[in-house]
Amino acid sequence: MITLKNIEKFYANKGVKSYILRHVSTEIKTGEFVSIMGPSGAGKSTLLNILGMLEKPTYGAYEFMGEDVLSLNERKRIELYRNHIGFVFQAYHLIDEMTVAENIEAPLLYKKVSGAERKSRVADVLDRFNMVAKKDLFPNQLSGGQQQLVGIARALVAQPSIILADEPTGNLQSAQALQIMELFKKLNEEEGITIIQVTHSEINASYGSRVLHLLDGVIKEDMAVEQGV
Amino acid sequence: MFRLNLKIALRNLWKNRVYTAINIGGLAIALAAFILVAIYVRFETSFDHNIPNYKQIYQVGRILPDRKTNYTAMSLAKALKDAIPEIENVGRSRQTNFEFAFSTQDGRVYGKQVISIDYSLAKMFHIQPEGGLTKPEGGALNLYVPKEFVSTMFPKQTPTFPVKVGIGPSNALQYGDIIGIINHNSAHSNLVFDALIITDDVGAGQEPTANNYQTYIAVKEGTDFDLLQKKVDAVFKEELKKSRLTAAADREDATLRVAPDVTMAADLNRLDKSAVFLDPLDNLHLRPIAGSNTNYKIVMALSVLTILVMVIACINFTNLTIAQTNRRAKEVGVKKVLGAYRIQLIFQFLIEIFMQCLVALLMGVLLAELFLPLFNDAFGVSFSLWKDNTALTWQLPVVLLIITLISGVYPALVLSGFKPAAVLKGNLQTSHKTLWLRNGLLVTQFTVAIIFMAGLLIVSSQLKYMRTEDTGFKAGQVVYIKNMVWFDRGYFENMKARVLAIPGVNSFTVASDVPDGSRPGRVDYSMDGKELGMDIVHTDFDYFETLQLKLKDGRFFSKTFPADAENGIVLNESAVSAYAITHPVGKTIRGCDMDYRIVGVIKDAKMQGFETAVEPTVYAVNSPCANGKMKLMVNIDPDRMAGVLATLKSDWKNLNKLDGDDFRYEFMDELYGRLFKKQEQLQSVFYGAALLTIFIATLGLFAFSAFTISSRMKEISIRKVLGATDFNILSLLNNFFIRIVLLANLIGWPLAYIGAQRWLDTFAYRIEVPMLPFLIAGLISILLTLLTVSFQARNAIKTSPVDALKYE
Repeated sequence: MITLKNIEKFYANKGVKSYILRHVSTEIKTGEFVSIMGPSGAGKSTLLNILGMLEKPTYGAYEFMGEDVLSLNERKRIELYRNHIGFVFQAYHLIDEMTVAENIEAPLLYKKVSGAERKSRVADVLDRFNMVAKKDLFPNQLSGGQQQLVGIARALVAQPSIILADEPTGNLQSAQALQIMELFKKLNEEEGITIIQVTHSEINASYGSRVLHLLDGVIKEDMAVEQGV
Repeated sequence: MFRLNLKIALRNLWKNRVYTAINIGGLAIALAAFILVAIYVRFETSFDHNIPNYKQIYQVGRILPDRKTNYTAMSLAKALKDAIPEIENVGRSRQTNFEFAFSTQDGRVYGKQVISIDYSLAKMFHIQPEGGLTKPEGGALNLYVPKEFVSTMFPKQTPTFPVKVGIGPSNALQYGDIIGIINHNSAHSNLVFDALIITDDVGAGQEPTANNYQTYIAVKEGTDFDLLQKKVDAVFKEELKKSRLTAAADREDATLRVAPDVTMAADLNRLDKSAVFLDPLDNLHLRPIAGSNTNYKIVMALSVLTILVMVIACINFTNLTIAQTNRRAKEVGVKKVLGAYRIQLIFQFLIEIFMQCLVALLMGVLLAELFLPLFNDAFGVSFSLWKDNTALTWQLPVVLLIITLISGVYPALVLSGFKPAAVLKGNLQTSHKTLWLRNGLLVTQFTVAIIFMAGLLIVSSQLKYMRTEDTGFKAGQVVYIKNMVWFDRGYFENMKARVLAIPGVNSFTVASDVPDGSRPGRVDYSMDGKELGMDIVHTDFDYFETLQLKLKDGRFFSKTFPADAENGIVLNESAVSAYAITHPVGKTIRGCDMDYRIVGVIKDAKMQGFETAVEPTVYAVNSPCANGKMKLMVNIDPDRMAGVLATLKSDWKNLNKLDGDDFRYEFMDELYGRLFKKQEQLQSVFYGAALLTIFIATLGLFAFSAFTISSRMKEISIRKVLGATDFNILSLLNNFFIRIVLLANLIGWPLAYIGAQRWLDTFAYRIEVPMLPFLIAGLISILLTLLTVSFQARNAIKTSPVDALKYE
C-alpha cells in the first residue's frame, strides 16, 4: 500500500544541514497496524506527516496505492485525503465551534456526500461509538477520552483505508487510552483498516502488528509484534 | 456545507462579540459617512442633468486681461447662431439685480431672483411649465413661478392661473399676469430663480452693447470643442469691431445702470487682449471658469475623505480578522486534512466577512438616516436618503462587494494558507514582530487620524483669524436696508435728514454695494497716462463713516466741499499702489468720460472676504457709469438698536416714499459672516472626520493591542518569572505601540503641513501654518495609545504566569 524509498528530510540553516529523517525506506501493506516509536526528536511525527502528505520530504520517493505522491498536484493529493486517509491527533483537533455531530459530518461535506447519506452515516457512527446522547454537545463539554472518540469517529466516517494517528492517547488517562487502543485494534482486525500510529508507549505499540523504531531520523529496528501479549 | 459554515461563522462571531461589535460598528460608521457623502456628491455633480443633452450645452464667457466673466453682450448669441453651423440653439438669460416685489391679495412677497430668458433658452433647458411651454406672442413677457415659490406667494390656496399680480413698489405698481407654475428645482440647476420671465427676445428694448446677458449655446453631438471655441472667439471679435461705430453713442444709454458689467465698448479698447471661452454646463455649478471652484474642492475633499475613512475601516477589519489567526488556524488545518480545497476555505472566510459587512451596511444606512438632519444642517441642504437617490440602490451593493473584497481578501488568503502540519502541532506561535503589514496598516490609520486632527486645528485657527482680524471696516452696528429703487441725490438728502433725526442713528448712507462679498462693477480709470480697471463703489456722503473705514491720507467726502458731490473720488491703498504714485491726494484721475479729483485715500478693507486680495477700488459720489445707488446702510448706536429698528419699521413708508412698502433689513455683520460659511462647513467636515478617524484608529488599536498582548503572553510570563515588575511589563507593551504612533506622526505631519499650506494658499489673507496643531495631534494620539494599550495590558499583568506557561 505504501512504499517509501530513501526518504530524507533536512533543514538547511546557514549552510548546516540538520537532518530529521535519513535514508528511510520501508513498505507498509494493507491491513497492517504499524507503530512508530522512538525518543523525542527522533522524527516520528515528521515521518507520519510525510506519510499523511502534510509535509514533503527533501529527497526520496513515496508511493501511495501505486501513485507517486510527490509528483501529485495539490488537488489530487486532497482527493487522496478525502477518499483514503483519516487523521487522528494527540490534541484531538475538533473544531470548537461545531457540535459533535457536525464535527463528524465535516469530512463528508468535502466528499460531496448527499445530505441523506450524510445523516445516516453520522447516525451510524454515533451509534457505534455510543455517543448519540452527546451529539449536540460542543467539544469543550466533553472529556478528553470522549473528544478523542469523536476524533476517531470523524476519521472513520469517511470510510478511509488508512488511519494515521499522532500519539492518539498522549493526552489521555490510561483507562481511556486503553479503550482507544482496543478500538484501533478492532478496526484493524474487523474492518481491515490500515493503521499507522506514532506512540511513546510500549503498551500501545503492543496492540499493533509491527513496530518501527526511529532514532535520530534513522530506522533502527523494524520488527513484528508477537501477538497475544 | 454552506449552512454549516454559516453556523460556524455565527458561533465564532458570537464568541468574540466585543471584537465583532468593534469591527462592525467601525465599519458601519464609516459606511454611514460614505452614504451621506455619496448623496451629497451625487447631488453636487448632477446639476441640470435632467436636460437630456446637457453635455452639449456651453455657457459663453469672456476673458478680460484682469479677470473672467460670464456676462456677454446681447448681440453675441444671434451672431454665433448665424455664423456657426455646429450651434443648434442659442439662448440668453438676463438677471434683475434687485428684489422684485409681487403684490397679491394675500400680501406682498419679494422674489430675490427674477430672471428673464429667451424662449429658445427655455427650450434648451427643458423648462416645463404646467400645461406645456408655449412660444410667447410678439413681445409678451410670460411670467412663471416655480412650485416652491407659489406656496410662498399664495400661502392660503393655489389660485387658478393666469393670475394678475402687482409688480414693484405699491406707489408705482405695474400689473402682470403669472401664466403658470413651472417645474424647476432652482436648488439643483444653474438657472436659479424665484420667478421666470420667458420672452421671445430678452434683449428687446434694452441697451444693446451692455454686457448684461448670460449666453448659452447647444451644439451638435460630436462637435470638436477646440475648433468650436476658436470659431466662437472669431465671431466675438467680429462683433466687437462692428459695435465700434455705435460705441460712442451707446455710452449715454449705459447710464441705465442695469449693467453689472462694463459695456462692450470698453472691451473694444482691449480687443487684442479679450477672448471668449466656452464653459460646459456640467462644470458650471462646481468649477465655473468665471467664478470660484470652492464647491468643487469641497466635493473632492469630501470624496477623498470618505474613501480614506472607508479604507481605514476596512483595514481595521483586515487587522481584526487576522488577529483571530491563532484560533482559526486550527480550524483551517483540520479542514484541510479532512479534504477541503484551499479555494473552499477562501470562500468560507469571504462569506463570513461578507456577512459582517452586510450587517455593517444595514447599520450604516440606519446611522446615515439618523445623522441626515445634522448633515443637512451643516451643508444647508435638504436631502433624504431614498428620494431622488435611486443610484444608492445599485451603489450600496457595489460598495458592499468592494469593502468585502478589500477587507476580506487578505485575511482569507492568509488564513487559508496555513500548513496543517505546522498548525496542528498544537502550539502555533505567530510572532508579533514579523507582521509588518499589520503594523503598516496601523501606522496608516493613525497617520490619517493625525492629519485630520491637525487639519481641524489649522482650519479652526484660520477661521478664528478671519473672525478676529481687522477687516478694515466695522459692520457690527450697521444695518443694511433693502431697497428697490435708485436714489438721486436730492431725494436721498431729504430722506437722510429724517433718518438721522431718529435718536440712536449715528450715520446713514446709500451705495451701490455693501460689504457682502459681492464684486462691485468695474470701470477703467486713467491717471498719468496709465489706464487701469478699478472696482467702483458708487457711494454717498457718510459711507466711510457708516462702515468706519480708516483714512490713510487726505479726507473723506464732506458736505463742506460741495465739489465732492460732483467730481470727488476716494481711492483705496491698492488703487494707489496699482498706479504707483506717491502723493495721490489732489491729483486728477479720469474715468467715465470725466475728470475726478482725488480727495482721500483709505486703508484697504476686505469687503470681499479673505480669499481674494483687496481689489484696487475707487469710491465716488457721482459716477455715471457705475451701478446705481440703492443699498442703504445705517449705523446705529448698539444700545438703542431695537428702538431705532422699530422706529424705522413703523415710519418706513414715510421715510422712503419710493419703496417704503416693507422695511426689510439685515445686520451687516451677519451678511458679511456668511462669506465664511464654506470655511465653516469645511471646519465641520474636519471635525467629523477627525472624530471618525480617531475613533476608528483607536478601535483598531484596541483590538490589535489585545491580540498582540495575547500572542505575547508567553513572553510576558517568562519575563514575570524572571522578575519583571508590572510597570516593566506595561512599558514593554506600550513601547511598541508608542513607536508605531510616533512613526504615524512623523508621516502625518508633513502631509498635513503640505495640505494646510495648499489650503491656506487659497486665502489672500491668512495665518502662517501654526506648529501647535501638530504637537497637539501628536499628544492626543500618544495619550490615546497609552490609555488603550494600558487598558488591554491590565489583563496580561493580572494573569498568573503559570497559566500561560502551561503547555497545551
